[in-house]
Order: sequence, then structure tokens, then C-alpha cells
Amino acid sequence: MRRRTRSIAATAALALALPLAACASESGPPTLTWYINPDNGGQVKIASLCTQAAKGEYRITTEVLPRDAASQREQLARRLAAKDSSIDIMSLDPPFIPELAEPGFLAPIPSDVAEAVTTDVVQGAIDGATWRDELVAIPFWANTQLLWYRKSVAEAAGLDPAKTPVTWQQIMDAAAEQDKFLGVQGAKAESLTVWVNALIESAGGHILENPEASADELTLGFESDAGRKAAEIMGTIGREGLGGPGLPTADENATMTVFQRDRGSFMVNWPFVWSATNAAVEDGTLDASIVDDIGWAMYPQVDEGTDARPPYGGINLGIGAFSTHVDLALEAAQCIVSPENQAFYFATNGNPPSSTKAYDDPQVVEAFPMADVIRESLEKAAPRPQTPYYNEVSTGVQETWHPPASVNPDTTPREATDFITAVLRGEALL
Amino acid sequence: MTSSTVVPGATTSESDAPRKARRSDRARDEARLGWWLAGPAFVVMLAVTIYPILQAFYDSLFSYRLTAPSDKAFNGGQNYVVVLTDPVFWQAFLVTFVITIVTVLVELVLGFLLALVMHRAITQLRGVLRTAILVPYGIITVVSAFAWFYAFDINSGFVNHWFSWLPGIDADLNWFAHQGTSLFVIMASEIWKTTPFISLLLLAGLSQVPGELEEAAQVDGATWWQRLQRVVLPNMKAATMVAVLFRALDAFRIFDNVFIMTNGANGTTVLSLLAYRTSIGRLEIGLGSAISVLLFLCVIGICFVAIKLFKVDLASARGEG
Amino acid sequence: MRTLTPRLKVAWAVITLLVLVWALLPVVSIIATSFKLPSQLDLGTFWPKTWTTTNYEQIFVGSAKDLFLPALRNSIGISLIATFVAVVLATLAAYAIARLDFRGKKLILTTALGVSIFPVISIVTPLFNLWRNIGLYDTWLGLIIPYLSLTLPISIWTLAAFFRQIPWELEQAAQVDGATSWQAFRKAIVPLAAPGVFTTALIAFFIAWNDFVYGISLTSTSAARPVPAALAFFTGASQFEEPTGAISAAAVVVTVPVVILVLLFQRQIVSGLTQGAVKG
Repeated sequence: MRRRTRSIAATAALALALPLAACASESGPPTLTWYINPDNGGQVKIASLCTQAAKGEYRITTEVLPRDAASQREQLARRLAAKDSSIDIMSLDPPFIPELAEPGFLAPIPSDVAEAVTTDVVQGAIDGATWRDELVAIPFWANTQLLWYRKSVAEAAGLDPAKTPVTWQQIMDAAAEQDKFLGVQGAKAESLTVWVNALIESAGGHILENPEASADELTLGFESDAGRKAAEIMGTIGREGLGGPGLPTADENATMTVFQRDRGSFMVNWPFVWSATNAAVEDGTLDASIVDDIGWAMYPQVDEGTDARPPYGGINLGIGAFSTHVDLALEAAQCIVSPENQAFYFATNGNPPSSTKAYDDPQVVEAFPMADVIRESLEKAAPRPQTPYYNEVSTGVQETWHPPASVNPDTTPREATDFITAVLRGEALL
Repeated sequence: MTSSTVVPGATTSESDAPRKARRSDRARDEARLGWWLAGPAFVVMLAVTIYPILQAFYDSLFSYRLTAPSDKAFNGGQNYVVVLTDPVFWQAFLVTFVITIVTVLVELVLGFLLALVMHRAITQLRGVLRTAILVPYGIITVVSAFAWFYAFDINSGFVNHWFSWLPGIDADLNWFAHQGTSLFVIMASEIWKTTPFISLLLLAGLSQVPGELEEAAQVDGATWWQRLQRVVLPNMKAATMVAVLFRALDAFRIFDNVFIMTNGANGTTVLSLLAYRTSIGRLEIGLGSAISVLLFLCVIGICFVAIKLFKVDLASARGEG
Repeated sequence: MRTLTPRLKVAWAVITLLVLVWALLPVVSIIATSFKLPSQLDLGTFWPKTWTTTNYEQIFVGSAKDLFLPALRNSIGISLIATFVAVVLATLAAYAIARLDFRGKKLILTTALGVSIFPVISIVTPLFNLWRNIGLYDTWLGLIIPYLSLTLPISIWTLAAFFRQIPWELEQAAQVDGATSWQAFRKAIVPLAAPGVFTTALIAFFIAWNDFVYGISLTSTSAARPVPAALAFFTGASQFEEPTGAISAAAVVVTVPVVILVLLFQRQIVSGLTQGAVKG
């Protein structure tokens, strides 16, 4: 192409700048698309860190998924069902991994990579990334709920949860006596399943006895002592108003608000509450004395003396089976989950690492004085049922165990079993 | 676009054709032009509706889950049996029905009052009033749902604080924890958003009532109420019926507010949400399509009832022909 | 004009105030919420305790920028194109319906009516499947086409009603006066038809701007996701914290154009809505 004058050249260059840039990127390093769940910018930052570290081997761009886990699954499942090749890396909520792994939507993880990414990783996260005894996703960050308590309330009740693990009964009694509210997630959402699952697991049971079975052969474990105990606890909290009037709509955020107020007492919640409460103090919304009054401990027990099985959450990285750069995506995913990146992510976004090494990072210890408890909790955490029909099971739980006040140990476990069984057999709508 | 209705082209050898034939030629040309002009719109409208609904009907005959595509199998009307024998469906149907009836009735009353106000208002006020009520009309439904949700939310809302003097309302009232109160807020937001539409239609109807008739009635000593009853309302019947039908069909498809506010908790699931949850949430394309088809049939049914039973004359009301 | 007695004046003032409060309170409340600090959202007050622009910073320059700005661009672009296409197609169709005599007129009007009552949710799943097969999923075109099903019918009805009222004889008159047919059309008809077309465009734009179901079902990235769908993607400082502030700010931003259009064109919108619906 010949240009007569400089000005024309300049104009042309300007006009061509965009398309040229696009061309350059096509012929340059392959671009990997990472579908991330919304966070406070941490994953975008890690993506750019890894792009730099790759030294031109690949570039990672991010696409954000919806906020709630169920909608994230919807988006990904629909794209993957369409054999979408633009999905290279996905941030996956563990309960939905089997559904994507079963039809082969996730690229297999080679054994050498599998070994590398499971060394020094908390067991809960490995379990959550495993389907049919194979690692199908790469553990990224792992979340767990702790028992958060107001020291003043615990003291008045004669409890010291940090030293001696407390039971649900104890904190319910304490709240009732002092006319305070317990912080639990009673909203009809995934957080309700998280609670139900933790209660049943802590009582020694399981929501699904054989999670790997096919839809019509799944056996539900609600009608057991564990299921009844869970229903007893939940129903009592609901009926006696121990969760406050907001309970039937309380999600994690609302629970925290109640906990921060005058009637806050004990709360089960994820570690984000620590950074959020500190931020509120900085804004001048909360009194600084509240932070000093907050203690943390392991998740409450159902049976005294039996360790609780706290909720497990977090994100694992799946590699899209239809990606055109599976090898590079595996490489990039390993960069993303490096202990340094996990520590950075925890310190800046409040999402705890799955790598045990990351917990020794000084910035982690500074931002989260309860990091040790989190790690311990993760080692004991129980995942939610791992089944390709998780959506049906979870929504079925939410249909039958909501509102908490309606939960009855004599009827709810049976209702839940009948309902979910019918749904799984395609005989009922959700 | 040419200015005349005579179309060039299609000039057949007309040497000995009688005038009658020429006129029919002309009519044919006019028809051809008409279809050339209106055809694209017609085709587009059909393409985006007829094809999908037929496809939905086809899919509804299969047991078909998107994440297990190999298990797709024809199962006759089984999906319909499941849906129609499931209390969940009938519960959703009932809730949708109640929402439709209540919102349309309230909107009709409120809309009529608003229309009267606008009709009677002095010119300076008319602009202000119209502008004000057009804001809810133009606002995005999702935005209005969020606004109402935040206002009533037990943690962030101000409603409980402002209205605590009313019996039954206090700081501890959790609007979204009970069926009745959730439905109240859902319907209130729907009413707020759509009353302007109905009231503008009614305003148009009001301005069609011949002024002389009303004056005559006034001269005869009829009270305001009598005039309303005997003169104004009967003359507005056509406009009202059309407004009601359109709003009813719209309300029957309610989705956005429910999705945002409760996502179907506490027995607030409506038909659209059920269809969405089944086909998009659960990826059960077969079952979801069956619900979609049933929803479509419901809408047709409402239309049929309105037109046959209540004699809503869309043609005359919409100025057809 | 009637003269108002003082009592009537007061009555009108009260009525006007009531209508204003009723119509605007929810809007004002979300505006107020959008200026609250994230940590102060749960105080239960109407007005912010501390006024802040944090939420607007979040969506325009902060962490939600990459989510909101593309969504805003998509919403504006897709709605404008869908409006434009609908109005062009509807103008042609309405012209034919208003001026020409041909069989099938009724069929077209009835179809428009049928399409306008179609439950969106019924066609979204098949569309989703078709779109992913032919590559329209998550594209602008993939939303523009279904938006036509929302905007076309009402545009045809409204414009047909408008066009019927145009005294087409003027055109012939102008031609008699020596104007060419194009001049006659431009000088005599266009000025009469333009307000109708413009009003129709406004109404169609509102409808496209309002869509939610197509937006959440037929998109999955910022390539085509419109604002109403993007609101579900906002997050607080962590994914567990309510994005109330960001949602409110974004809600206010997408409401501003609506309010401006309403303020400028309330008369036209009202006449458009009522013309299309009731008058002949």
C-alpha cells in the first residue's frame, strides 16, 4: 500500500489501529478465556500476572459469570452443551463439577498435572475436584464456614468456643436466654443446602448415600437419625424465632448484618465477614469495639464430642473439553493456583487458599488472624453431595426445608425424600 | 416510495382486455405492492414466533436433558401428564391467575382515577401529571423490581420504619418470608409499573366520550355519579375492554419482578418462572417445553374467552377496517 | 377556561402531589440507595447517612467497569438497532395497511396482535437451541431478532393508526400545484408522518430497553449482555456481599435516558400510546 502524505498515513494508521491490534493478537500468542465468578477483581489481577509470567506463550482474558452459583452453572452448562470452544478455563463451584464432568465437558487432567496440583492441598478441596476417583478439576481456593461469636455473649453464657467446641444446642440456649439472634442462612437459596448438608454431615449422615449412582437409583439419607437431628435443630431455630424475623430470607450478607447489630450472638458464616466488618468500621458505620468483640472457632457440633463437618465451598478450575488449547489452559491453570497467587487472593479478596503452603504467607496471617482455624476447618469440611443431579437435589432440599420454621423432624425428612425421588425420576416438577 | 398507488411493472398485454380485468390487474398490483411492503414485517413476526413455538411443541414430546443429550428419547405425552398432574404446576397457575386478576382490577380502578384526573386537570398541570406517570411506564421492569425490593427488604428497607404506625407493620415484618406479603409487594410493583399504560388507554377512551352527551345529561340534572354511570362508562366500554385484555395477557406472563424479588420462594412461583426454572435452570428441555406450550395455550384461552364471552371487539377498538 | 375556586385549587394541589409521590417515590428511593455507602445499606433509612459516589465509581471506573460499560453499550446499541429495524419495517407495513387495499391486511394485523401477546418464555428455549446451532447465541443480532417480536407488533399498530389519519389527498394537491411526486411526498406527507414515526420509535425503544428474559437467556458474555441482565452479575466486595449499591447506581444510570425522553416527549408518547390502541 502506498501513501502519499504523512497525514493520510497517520489517519489510516489511526483508522487501522483497532483491526490491526486484533490481527496482531490472532497471530500472536493464543488467547485463553477464563470464565470467572464475580469477585473483588482478584481473578482479573491473577490473569494478568499469569499472562506476564507466560512470556508470550499465552494470554488470559476473563469473562465474568453471574453472582449466584446456580446461575453460573446454567451459563456454563448451556455453553458446554453447545460444545463451545471459547471456554478454556472455568471457575467452578465444586457441587456442580460432577454434572459437567459426567458428560465429558471437562478436559481430563493428566496424571502428572494431577499430582502437582494436589500436593500440599487441603483434603476438602481435592475431594471437591474429584469425580469417580479421578481429579477432574484443579483446586484453586477453598472456603469453609466458621462459627463467629460475640465474645460478650459467649462469656455471659459461660462458653468459650475457641477453647472447647460448642454444640448447636448450646448456642441455641445461649441465644434464647439472652434474647439474641443466631446468624444462620435460612433464605431459600444454595446457602440453605449448605446449612442442611453441614448439619446432616456433622450428625454422621449424608444427603446422598450413593452420589455416583444414576438418577433413579440415588438413595437419599434424610430419613436417618442424622437427618432427623438436623431437622430438629433447624426447625427449633425457625419456630422459636432464634434466627430473628429475617431468617427466612437471610443470606450470608443479611446474616452478617444481624450479627453486627445489638442482638448478634453466634453466627456460622464464611470468612468474608471479617474483611467486610473491618471495612464497615473503616467507613465509620460500625463501632470499632465490635471488631474486638468478635471471636471465631470451629463450626458447632451436633453431637457433643463429635467433630463437626463444616461446609466446604470455594472454586476449582475446570478446563473446557472443547477448548482448542487444552495444554496451554492446563499450564495457565497451574500458574493461577500457585501458592503465591492463592495467598494474594486470600489477602486481597478474602477467599482462603486450598494450598496449605499459602497459609504461611505473611500477608495472609496479617489480614486473617483466623487463618489457622480456617485451615483446620477445611481439613474437616464435608462437601455437598457430588452428583450430576446436584441441582435437583439442592433445589429439592430448598423446596422442602424452607422456611426453617416449617421444618419438622417427623415429616420433613420423609417429604424431602419423596419429593426429590419423584423429581429425579422425572415424575414431578421442581 | 412512490406517491401513487399505481405500480409499474406487471404490464400485461392489455390491448383487448375489458376494463373489469384491468381493474383486477390493478387490484392485483396493489396487493402485490402491499405484500412487498408489509411482507418483511409479516415474515419476521412469524419467524420469531411460529418456528419457536412449533419447536417447543416438538421438544415437549421428548424426555430431553441438555446435559445428557444421548438420553434424548420420545416419550409421547408423558411430559404433559407429569406437568398436569403436578400440584406445583397448579399452584403456579393459581398464583399467576390471582396476580392477573388482582393487578388488573386494581389497575383498572387506579388507572381510571388517574385518567379522570388527567382529563380534568387544567392545562398547566396536565403536562406535569403526564410526565410523572410516564416515568413508571418507561422504567425498566427489573429496575422497578429492585427499587421495590430494596424498599421493603427487612434489612435495607425503609418501609417498615415509615409505616410502623400501621397495624401489622413493624421493624420485624419480613415481607419476603410469607406468601401473602411477598405477593403484595410483587403485585404492588407490577401495579405501579403498568397502571400508567392502562390509564392512558382509558384517557383516550374518556376523550372519545362525546362532550355534548355529557352536557345534555348535566342540563337534565344528572349528578356527577349518574353521568359517570350512564354516559361516560358505557361510552368507554370498548376502550376499557381492550385495555383490560392487553393488561391481563401481560400480567399473565409476569416474570421479572418475581424473579428478582423472591425467585419463587414462599409459594410465589408463577408459570413463566416455572417454565424458566425447568428449561433454563434444570436444562430439562422436554418438561420445560411442555410448560411453555401450556402457558401459550393459556394465553390463547384468555384471548378466546375475552373475545367470545366478553365480546372484546379488537377490530373496532383498534380502528381496523 | 374554568376559573378555580381556592378550594378547588387546594384540591388540585393535593391530587397532583399525591400522583407525584406515587409515581416518583420508588424512583427517588433507588436514587437515594445508590448514594449509600456499602456498609450503610442496612441502616433502614431512606436517605443516605453519608452521601457517597462509591457505587458510581464502582460501575464506571472500578471493579464493575468491565461488566457495566459493555452492558450499557450493548443495551444502547441493540435497543437502537432493534428500534430502527422495527420502525422501518413497520413503516412500510403500516403504509401498505393504511393506504393500499389488499387481501391479507387483516391477516397481518391479526398476526401482529398474536405476536404481541406471545409469552416470551415459551419461545426462548427453542430460540436458545437454534441460536447456538447457527452461531447467533451471545451476539447482537441474536438479541435484535427476538426484540423485533416485541417491538414490531406495537409499531405496526401504532403507525397504521397514525397513517390512517394523514390526509393523503394533500399529496395529490401538491402534485397538482406542480411538485414532482417525490417533492409532494416529502413536503406534504413526511411532515405529517414524521411525528408518528418518531413516537413509535420512542415506544419501541422503551420496550427493547426493558427486556430481561431474552437478555438473560440468549447471552453469556459481555459481547451482547444488556444492562438488565448484567445487574445479576454485580457483586459486593466479596461474592457473598449484596451488590445493592452497584445495582442501584446502574439502575439509576439506565433510568436517566428514560426520564429525559419522558420529560422531552411526554405529549408524543401519550398520543402514540393512545392512538395505536384505541383511536381509529
